[in-house]
Amino acid sequence: MLKKARKERLIWLDIMMTLMALALMSYFYYGIRSAALCGICVAVSLVAEIISLRLMGRHFKADDLTCTSDALIFALMLPACMDYSIAVIASVFAVVVAKNVFGGRKNMIFSPAAAAYVFVLTSWGSKLLMFPEPHSRLGVFEKPDTLTHSASYSFNISGKLDYTDFEVLLGNFSGPAGSVSVLLLVISAVILIFRGDISAGAFLGSIVGTGLFAFIAPVGSSREDSLSYSLVTNMVLFASVYIIADKRIAPKREYFAIFYGLFVAVFAYTLVLTTAKENAIVMVSVLFTPVALGFKNLEKKISLAEQEELVKETEAADETAQEITEEAIVNE
Amino acid sequence: MYLVNDIIAFLAANLILSQALGTSTLFIAADSRRKLVGTTCCITLFTTIGSAAAFLINKELPSGYKDLTLIFYVLTVGLLYVGLLTTAYFITPERFEKIRKYIHLSAFNCAVIGTLFTMEQKSADDPSLMTLKEYVKFGFEAGLGFITAALILTAAFRKLNSSKVPSSFRGGPAILIYLGIISMAVYSLK
Amino acid sequence: MNERRSSIFDGVLGDNAVLSGLMVISPVIICGNTIKNAEALICAFSAITFLSVLIASFVPKKLPYTVKVIIYALISSIVYLPVKNAAEKFYPDSITRIGIYFPLLAVNSLIILQSEARFFKMKKPRMLASLTFYIIGFDAVMLLTAFIRELLAYGTIRSKMADVNTLISGLGEPFGGFILLGLMCGAYRKIRSIARKEKNTGSDLNVSGK
Repeated sequence: MLKKARKERLIWLDIMMTLMALALMSYFYYGIRSAALCGICVAVSLVAEIISLRLMGRHFKADDLTCTSDALIFALMLPACMDYSIAVIASVFAVVVAKNVFGGRKNMIFSPAAAAYVFVLTSWGSKLLMFPEPHSRLGVFEKPDTLTHSASYSFNISGKLDYTDFEVLLGNFSGPAGSVSVLLLVISAVILIFRGDISAGAFLGSIVGTGLFAFIAPVGSSREDSLSYSLVTNMVLFASVYIIADKRIAPKREYFAIFYGLFVAVFAYTLVLTTAKENAIVMVSVLFTPVALGFKNLEKKISLAEQEELVKETEAADETAQEITEEAIVNE
Repeated sequence: MYLVNDIIAFLAANLILSQALGTSTLFIAADSRRKLVGTTCCITLFTTIGSAAAFLINKELPSGYKDLTLIFYVLTVGLLYVGLLTTAYFITPERFEKIRKYIHLSAFNCAVIGTLFTMEQKSADDPSLMTLKEYVKFGFEAGLGFITAALILTAAFRKLNSSKVPSSFRGGPAILIYLGIISMAVYSLK
Repeated sequence: MNERRSSIFDGVLGDNAVLSGLMVISPVIICGNTIKNAEALICAFSAITFLSVLIASFVPKKLPYTVKVIIYALISSIVYLPVKNAAEKFYPDSITRIGIYFPLLAVNSLIILQSEARFFKMKKPRMLASLTFYIIGFDAVMLLTAFIRELLAYGTIRSKMADVNTLISGLGEPFGGFILLGLMCGAYRKIRSIARKEKNTGSDLNVSGK
C-alpha cells in the first residue's frame, strides 16, 4: 500500500516536471500571461480540492496534489489570452464535478482536464478556439489586438501547414499555449513511458491509430504531410500523452489499452477528416470513457476468473500431494 | 468513414442524452444485466409497435381533433401494455412473474410516449417522414438509443454506486452528472 | 403528532419528488432553463397532477393493477385538455418552446406510479395535503433550477437583464440541466442528512434529559 502511494507521488512528480517544461515553453512564446493562467488554474484547483475534500469529510494528503497536474494539463490546452474568470470556473468544474463528485482520485471516471476542456468548449467555444500569434508576449492583464485561428484549423480545412518543419518541432505556430511544442512533447512521452508513468499501450494505440488512418485516408493531397501534421496538430500528441494514456483512466492491461487508444484515435481522426472538428481527440476521449470503463470491468472479470482457476489448480495440486503422501505411508 | 458521423448523429438524437426522456427508468435498467435486457427489450417493443400505431393515429385523426392525440396515444400504449402482458402470460407462464415487472416499468414512461410525440413533431416539420416505414424505423431507433444509453450507464454503474463516492452523491446524483458529462461530449461533437 | 406532520410535508423537503425520488426530471432538465418556461410548466403540472390524482382516487381499488394504471393515464390525458387550453391563453410562447414536454406532464410518474404506491394508501384529506406538498416540492425545484440556469446561462431574470459578467451558456443546454440537477440532488441529500442527524441528536438529548 505504501509502495503504491509512493509510486502515485512519483508519477505525479514526473508528470509535473514534463508539464512545467511545456509551461516554460509557453511562457517563452506568450509571455507572463500564459504563466499567470497556469498559476491561476493550479491555485484554484488546489483550493477547490481542499474545500471539496473537507466537505467529503476527508483530509488533504500529498497524493491529492494530482489536482495540480490536472490543472496544468487543462491550462496548457487553453489559448494564452483566455479570460481568467473562465479558467477559474473550468478549474472548479474539473475538480468538483468531473472528479470529486465521483469519489476523487480513488474512483476516477473522467480525465478532469479533458472534461473541463469540453465544458469550456461548449460554453465559450469562440474564445477557446481563437489564439494570439506566437511571440506576442502578453502582460498579465493584457489582451492581444488580433486573434487568429489555430494551425490545426487551417490544416483541417486545407490539409496544409504554412510552417517549416523546424517551427513545427519547436511549437512556433498558433495554437493552445502549451500543447504545440512537439519536440518537448515527444521527449516527455519517451520519459514518461520509460518511467512507467503513463500507459504505453494507450499512447501507442492512439499514435498508431492516428498515423495509420492519416496515411490511408489523408487530410490533404500528400500522404506524408497528412501523416506528420495529423500527429502534431489538433492536440493529438498532447492528448495522447496526458489524457488518453492517463493511467487512472486507461485500461491496465496493455493490449486492452492499445485498443482503447486505437478506438479513440481512429474515431477522432475520422471526425477531423469528415467535419474538420478542431481538437476532436479531447472530446472523443471524454465520450469514450464508458469504453475505458468497459475494458476495466472486463479486466476485473478476467482477473477473478484467473484467481479462481489458480485456487482450483492449487487445490488439485494439494489433493494430489496428499494422495502421494498417503500412498507413501501405506507402502512404508 | 461516415459511420463515425452516423454514430455521432445517433448519439445526438438519443432520447436520454439529448432529451432526458426515460432517465428514471434508465436508472433501474442499468442496475443489473437481467434488468438491462428485460427493460430495454420491453421499451424497444413499446416504441416500435407504438410508433406504428402513432402513424395510423396521426394519419387518420382529423386536424381539428389534434388535441385528442394524447388520449389516443395513451389508449394505444394501454392496449400494448395489456397485449404484452397477455402474450407473456401465455408464452412463458413460468417466467411471467419475472417478465411482467419489466412490462409494468416500460409501459407508461416518458421514453415511450415521448418517442411518439417526437415522431409526430418530426413528421409535421417534414411531411416526407409521414410513412409507416419512417415511423417504425424511428421507434426502433429510439429503442436502440435507450439500449445505448443503458450500456453507457452500465459501464460506470458500479463506480457510480461505489462506497468511494460521497454518500450524498452516490447513485442518482452521480448518475445524472455522469450522463451530463457524456451528453456534453456528444453536444461538443455535434 | 410530530411524525404525522413530518410525513405530510415530506413532499417539499424530506422526500422531494425531483431531488429525492428523481421523478419528473425530464421537464426540469430540458425546459427548466428560463423562469417563464418554469412558470408555465409549474401551472400545468400542478393542475394536471392535483386534478388527476383527485379524480383517480375514486377508481375502485379492487381493479387489477394494469387496468388501474391505464385508467389513471386516461384520466390525466383528459384533464390535460382544459389545462392545455388555459395554458395557451396565459403562456402562448412558453407552450411552443416546451413542445412535447407539455403533454408528457400528463403521464408523469407522480400520477401513474406514486398515486398507487403512496397517495391512495392514505385517507382523502391527508392524501390531498400530502399531494399538495409533493406538487409544491416539484414547483420549488423547477423554479430554483430555472432561476439558476437563466441567470447563469443567459444573464437574465425573467427575461430582464441582470448583472452577470461571465455567462455559462452550456447551463442552458440539456447537459447543463443534467449536471446542475445532479449537483442539486447531492446538495439536497447532504442538507437532509445533516438536518436528520441534528434532529436525532436533539431527540437523544431529550431522552437522556428525562
